[in-house]
Amino acid sequence: MRTDTVIMGGGLSGLTCGIALAKRGQRVTIVASGQSTLLFNGGSMELLGNIDGTPVTYPLETIASLPEGHPYRKIGADRIASLADEAKQLLLDAGINVEGDAAANHWRVTPMGVAKHAWLTLSENLRIDDLKQLPARRLALMCIRGFFDEPNSMLANGLKELGFEVDKHEFTTDEITKLRRSPSEMRAASLAKRLSSNNALQRIADQVNSLAGDADMVLLPSVFGMSDNDSYDILKNMVNKPLRLVATLPPSVAGSRMQAMLRHYFMMLGGNYLMGDSAVKGTLEGDRLTTITTAKLGDMPLRADNFVLATGSFISRGLVADYERVYEPVMGLDVDADKDREQWTRFGVLEPQAYSRYGVTTDATLRCAKQGKTIANLRAIGSVLSGHDTVKMGDGTGVSLLTALAAAHGILSDK
Amino acid sequence: MVTSDIYKNEYDVIIVGGGATGAGTARDCALRGLKTLLVERNDYSTGATGRNHGLMHSGARYAVTDSESASECISENMTLRRIARHCVEETDGLFITLPEDDLDYQKTFVEACQRAGIRADIIDPAEARSIEPSVNPDLIGAVRIPDAAIDPFRLTVANLLDARLHGADTLNYHEVEGLVMNQNRVEGVKLFNKLSGEHIEVRGRVVVNAAGIWGQRIAQMAGANISMFPARGALLIFGHRVNKMVINRCRKPANADILVPDDTVCVIGTTSDRIPIETVDDMRVTREEVDVLLNEGIKLAPSLATTRVIRAYAGVRPLVASDDDPSGRSISRGIVCLDHAKRDGVEGFITITGGKMMTYRLMAEIATNAVCAKLGNTAPCVTANQPLPGSEEGAPNQSDMTKRYSFGERAAIGRHGSLAARIEKDNDIDNALVCECEGVTVGEIKYAVHQLHVHNLVNLRRRTRVGMGTCQGKLCSCRAASLLGELHHDVRRAQKDLADFLDERWKGMRPVAWGDTLREAQLTAAIYEGLCGLDMAVSNQGKEDKQ
Amino acid sequence: MADQMQLCNISESNFEQCTKCSICTTVCPVAAVTTDYPGPKQAGPDGERYRLKDPAYYDKALKLCLNCKRCEVACPSGVHIADIIQKARMRSSEGHRASLRDTMLANTDLLGTVANLVAPVANATLGLAPTKLVMDSVMAIDKHRTFPAYSRQKFTTWFKRHAAKQQDDFGQHVSYFHGCYVNYNFPKLGQDLVKLLNAVGYGVHLLDKEQCCGVALIANGLYKQAKRQARVNADSIRKSVNTDHRTVLTTSSSCTFNLRDEYPAVLDVDTSDVRDSIMLATRFIYNLVDEEKIKLIFKQDYKRRMAYHTACHMQRMGWQLYSIELLRMIPGLDLVVLEQDCCGISGTYGFKKENYERSQEIGSVLFKHIADAQVQAVTTDCETCKWQIEMSTGLPVENPISVLADALDVEATRQANNIN
Repeated sequence: MRTDTVIMGGGLSGLTCGIALAKRGQRVTIVASGQSTLLFNGGSMELLGNIDGTPVTYPLETIASLPEGHPYRKIGADRIASLADEAKQLLLDAGINVEGDAAANHWRVTPMGVAKHAWLTLSENLRIDDLKQLPARRLALMCIRGFFDEPNSMLANGLKELGFEVDKHEFTTDEITKLRRSPSEMRAASLAKRLSSNNALQRIADQVNSLAGDADMVLLPSVFGMSDNDSYDILKNMVNKPLRLVATLPPSVAGSRMQAMLRHYFMMLGGNYLMGDSAVKGTLEGDRLTTITTAKLGDMPLRADNFVLATGSFISRGLVADYERVYEPVMGLDVDADKDREQWTRFGVLEPQAYSRYGVTTDATLRCAKQGKTIANLRAIGSVLSGHDTVKMGDGTGVSLLTALAAAHGILSDK
Repeated sequence: MVTSDIYKNEYDVIIVGGGATGAGTARDCALRGLKTLLVERNDYSTGATGRNHGLMHSGARYAVTDSESASECISENMTLRRIARHCVEETDGLFITLPEDDLDYQKTFVEACQRAGIRADIIDPAEARSIEPSVNPDLIGAVRIPDAAIDPFRLTVANLLDARLHGADTLNYHEVEGLVMNQNRVEGVKLFNKLSGEHIEVRGRVVVNAAGIWGQRIAQMAGANISMFPARGALLIFGHRVNKMVINRCRKPANADILVPDDTVCVIGTTSDRIPIETVDDMRVTREEVDVLLNEGIKLAPSLATTRVIRAYAGVRPLVASDDDPSGRSISRGIVCLDHAKRDGVEGFITITGGKMMTYRLMAEIATNAVCAKLGNTAPCVTANQPLPGSEEGAPNQSDMTKRYSFGERAAIGRHGSLAARIEKDNDIDNALVCECEGVTVGEIKYAVHQLHVHNLVNLRRRTRVGMGTCQGKLCSCRAASLLGELHHDVRRAQKDLADFLDERWKGMRPVAWGDTLREAQLTAAIYEGLCGLDMAVSNQGKEDKQ
Repeated sequence: MADQMQLCNISESNFEQCTKCSICTTVCPVAAVTTDYPGPKQAGPDGERYRLKDPAYYDKALKLCLNCKRCEVACPSGVHIADIIQKARMRSSEGHRASLRDTMLANTDLLGTVANLVAPVANATLGLAPTKLVMDSVMAIDKHRTFPAYSRQKFTTWFKRHAAKQQDDFGQHVSYFHGCYVNYNFPKLGQDLVKLLNAVGYGVHLLDKEQCCGVALIANGLYKQAKRQARVNADSIRKSVNTDHRTVLTTSSSCTFNLRDEYPAVLDVDTSDVRDSIMLATRFIYNLVDEEKIKLIFKQDYKRRMAYHTACHMQRMGWQLYSIELLRMIPGLDLVVLEQDCCGISGTYGFKKENYERSQEIGSVLFKHIADAQVQAVTTDCETCKWQIEMSTGLPVENPISVLADALDVEATRQANNIN
């Protein structure tokens, strides 16, 4: 099967790249090996949150001081602002209602009540632009009875430390009570599926409205809308105070929704999305990749002019560490990683871990290499790239979005 | 009893050390009517008790080299099957001979077993492959012996529970800073409460030093010298069971020659290295140890080569130099009970050490006999006949579970035996699973917090297996931390505790952090640091505490 | 051995690769509608660790699993979650006998043979209210269900009488595993395939011996019978591939998936040597077009708006691409590709009284999407999805092969491919 571009990986970076290409008329096939790490995302994108443990307030200004090998430096510090605008617009076009500005970070509130820097946050989520000017004085924190994937008391405590007054209320509805009968499935996604009908939402709104007292904002866990914004929009109109959501522990409802909306948008643009398949082998001819063989399509490989590697980090198996080495499993591409296993990790769990900066080696145009030789039509994007640290630098989603767009521009201008 | 009341009491006996031996001694003393206190500087079973194979030796391993230990083992083995049913899984074991081993040793081995009273049946290699499919198919000989698996955490807790049921008091996180001395007589212990920061003296007529490798220091406080020779052993835990039976190598004991199925996992070990006494608190496993364990382990069960390793850990065995040769060249692996009155002229002080987790009850009996002799108590020892709480006659256990029970209930019965009946399960919240890998419910956590002295998540893990599954506490640790925060009414402490717990889990994962275990670690970091900002919460706390 | 140390983590069904990320739980259609089912993570990799410790940990709620494989498709770690569950069911079922109802539903071919003989009576009887009531109460087959109508003439009978002779005249040849549905209920689909392939120069042949693929037997726990039939089919397929050099084509996604993947994974019947030669007809035809070996010419006046539904097993195979891309070649077809939601029937699952409500609730999301799409008809590669969607939406549902055959300009296609 031939399309213009084949993208290996169907998460944030793969879909963003696919959408950018499909919008410009390309025929694109995405091979997605299972659901992506967006399902661990609470509804925010980060451009740059931290450098060496110091929080970054103005990411655009700070990017120039990143080390050479950082993906942002590769695509050019001067291009970041325009790519960031384009990324935000792409998310909005997909129906993902994000707010935020690349020039200055805002704060998102984590499930544990910690304020963390972010670039874009879903408009439904609690967001703080200025810690000295909180968006509300008194919060009604509505806790779902028996739902343990929101650490309520930590959240309440964190919100108080941020300066909010917090009233914690516990509630249940028929749907929630019924779900609690399952000892294992009281999860955010299960709630979202059961709380999507108008009746179910009205029962929640009734509880919220009767309990919220004199709070000037209502907080609920983010358990509304696995695939679209309808549930939140309906509920918002039923609740008679401003309503904001707070991320839960994963799998995340907001993340599932972002993934679903991006995929839907991509498919609307005519893209092929091969869910549950994975690239297993690539065939090189000279300095070009000609085909990708997938696990499911078997002896009918995918052909294309351009290929994009968006297979993610270790979690997504875009990188593999075994007893002896770190490698890229599809093509055996060159990777930036320490040879000695002792160097991969450090003792303290919260210390920066070397492995989280590992990834494939690329040149300034994001082209990959094998045994030192650059592959002309294979670019890498997102978490499979080396030189950044999603956990410690707060740059993972930004790298995914921006490198995806940069690669798409590169592919389109090659022609 | 509240802690402050304990401080005011005077005891017949104070036991130092909350491992299996200390707990067993506390139980025995309490059953004989002594007013008993046990103190432990960390959590119960943090020392060698919780850092071994979880193997209930038949004694076969010692049959050739140490027939006395072998006899003790088989006798205790049979006793524990009766009194600690809910801590024991009767797996049986194999001693296999591989092509590179000397098959003649098998004969020596079987004869030695028979002398020690251990049933040892030579079976055909084909039969061995059939009853234990994971065994190295190249084996040329096999002997079936009555090894079993035992959970040392459960065993220790059951002893403590019974001690308390019979009037004993127990304190964890109380470190012995010194002994209360009156000339040549020990009259109590000076304690530091690590949770509250208090310093206290508690009086007792006899003090029993059951502090394992740390007992050398306790003895020094009384002016007595014991030469301990710490022997460090490292082990690896695999993500699930590959074997149903214990698999041993039929040769002279060496590195990594025992593979034990423990609950949902299996454990290979151990290495054996003499280490300086100053390093006994550093239990980090080295890369070399991992390599030895894997390379030797696959000789027992080849599938270990492709089975995920979820954790590495190490323990220190308290070996004691015999008194007539303090050089350490002749070390006894047997039980050592020292009455310091006779040995060092210190009254009211007894050390019980050496031995094995396996023979804890016998050690406790010997120590209690010594205590009773000093106090003039003539009550007989009944610990070999009276079942531990959870293992009473008629109590449900793992093998006779029926479909009536939910997953969580069945897992709890497996862990607590008849005591599982005390776990709340009448409402859907108590039935909710906190740890999905190991089937730990909210009710079980409440039970552990209220009944089993749980101060933090690590304690909770030892009592319930929370976070002991393949993910090493991915989602459950947050759920459990929230619950503890609510039950202890201290959210900030719960957050710090959560970070400590993840660090403790990481300590064991790091030496084996490749493959899926590394993926697991990256996902955990993405959730707790990336999504939740736990690192920031903890460092903010640190900053505030400094101010 | 030491060379291979820890270089891969392999266990049966990869269950230890599970990182407990819980993503599978977000896609399970059963857990979404009932609290009785513990969800794929608990039923699969979590439960398996305990079942390894002691088989007594088997939970009979595992029967509620649809075997739709959506958990496997979603799993980022490649864990064969549904296979783990099916195997656990199989182990626990040893020594148990299936009920009359399950045996009847599972034996699609036996039921079909009898029904064909008395098709008018069978159709009337299976549709009659009193009969339905008996089935509902005695057999526990839900009264809302309409049994698929039985054809008066079996596909194989038609084929032998009307088509078999001409097939040798073509230059290229394939075998056709028609399955029970085509044979007993809907021979037209088989006829459409013959029409389509003949038009591009391919002769179609039956296998020496074809038995029901056994997908329903597996779902109903009749593993022994499933194994027996699997061996017969595997032998016939081997003969076709190795001796006659004919690829084996199918028109049912579930049969295909069963032959290729469930035989080895669940039944331990190894078909790996011929696996690559068993495929859905749409994949075969798409590839011929893609490699420019054949041309398809469609009718100028064909005009239709249809929605494509990806059947669960189709998604598990990852082959919806071929059907979709082929359909997209029809100029007059306005194709809406639906989100990949489960229809809820999952073979015989939805036929059972105890599952009826669950089944309809599972499908409700899909039915809404179909209604929203405002189409004239639905197309899908699975026959049980067809029954469920037809019953629940009132829209006609066709196999992509029938849509292609319907839209095909046979004469122009024959000419374009130089077929006389």
